[in-house]
Amino acid sequence: MEKLIIESTVNSPRIVLDPEEKKFEFSGESRPENVRNFYLPVLEWLEKFTTNQSGLKERERTSALNCLFNFEYFNSTSAKYILDIFKSLNALHLLGIELEIKWLYEEDDEDMLEVGEEMSRMSKLEFEYVISDA
Amino acid sequence: MSKEEVIIDFRGPISFETMEGLLNELKSAPMFSELRKPVRKRLYGTVCESIDNIYKYAASNLVDSQGTSRAPLLTVKKLDNIFTISVGNLVLNELVDNLRNQLERINQLDNDALRTLYEDVINREAGEATTGAGLGLITMALRTEVDIEYSFEPVDTGYSFFTMKIDINT
Repeated sequence: MEKLIIESTVNSPRIVLDPEEKKFEFSGESRPENVRNFYLPVLEWLEKFTTNQSGLKERERTSALNCLFNFEYFNSTSAKYILDIFKSLNALHLLGIELEIKWLYEEDDEDMLEVGEEMSRMSKLEFEYVISDA
Repeated sequence: MSKEEVIIDFRGPISFETMEGLLNELKSAPMFSELRKPVRKRLYGTVCESIDNIYKYAASNLVDSQGTSRAPLLTVKKLDNIFTISVGNLVLNELVDNLRNQLERINQLDNDALRTLYEDVINREAGEATTGAGLGLITMALRTEVDIEYSFEPVDTGYSFFTMKIDINT
């Protein structure tokens, strides 16, 4: 499947969904003017990817995917869509695809750590919490 | 005696472009870069959500039926160790009860109950084409240690002027 790359702007994150490199990355700030329009293509891509994967035999499916979430800030409306992304990732996890989810936060940024823990609990996915150097 | 520092004092219509301008004003304030990073992010996030709240709820008219200016306002001030973010905007009277109920409820809850509510709301509304009512206020309440202060001043038969004040400790 064709990779999806969205470059960042001052109010929207950089997104890389690259199955060949086994890399899903989200970084930057998320408060786009129309949050739904921004995240819809991402969610659609993930849905299509999941459908493709479920059509494959287990041994033909992709191996471990590295998922990196390195948000500087996201607003409350974006949070809903980020949770939707995790729910999509959970569908991949249920297909037996191993996910290595790293949630980056800056040292002492308890708010970002806490919201990561909530996302992990709500999506029933295991996160690794990593202090970023930024 | 401590002196109050005014970081943003804005009154006017809020568009997405105005929002960028105000956030830039905040980021370029000399005191902003001196703050501890977590405080800086908390302040930035609360200002973002506050402006978003105006953007979502504010009535489009800028004057009341008497011709008095009722344009949205946003101020960010610092006194001692506390930042106070104040917003105000006209709202349709028919929205007042809903907004008041949300704020009353949020102020009654402790942080654990707020997190449960957050979880409930984010799951209920995720992916739906709503304006995100509620989640922004809950997020702000989780970031402040005191109640969100608010008031509704009746303006005329159609509108009230809504104000809200949130404190952030440094």
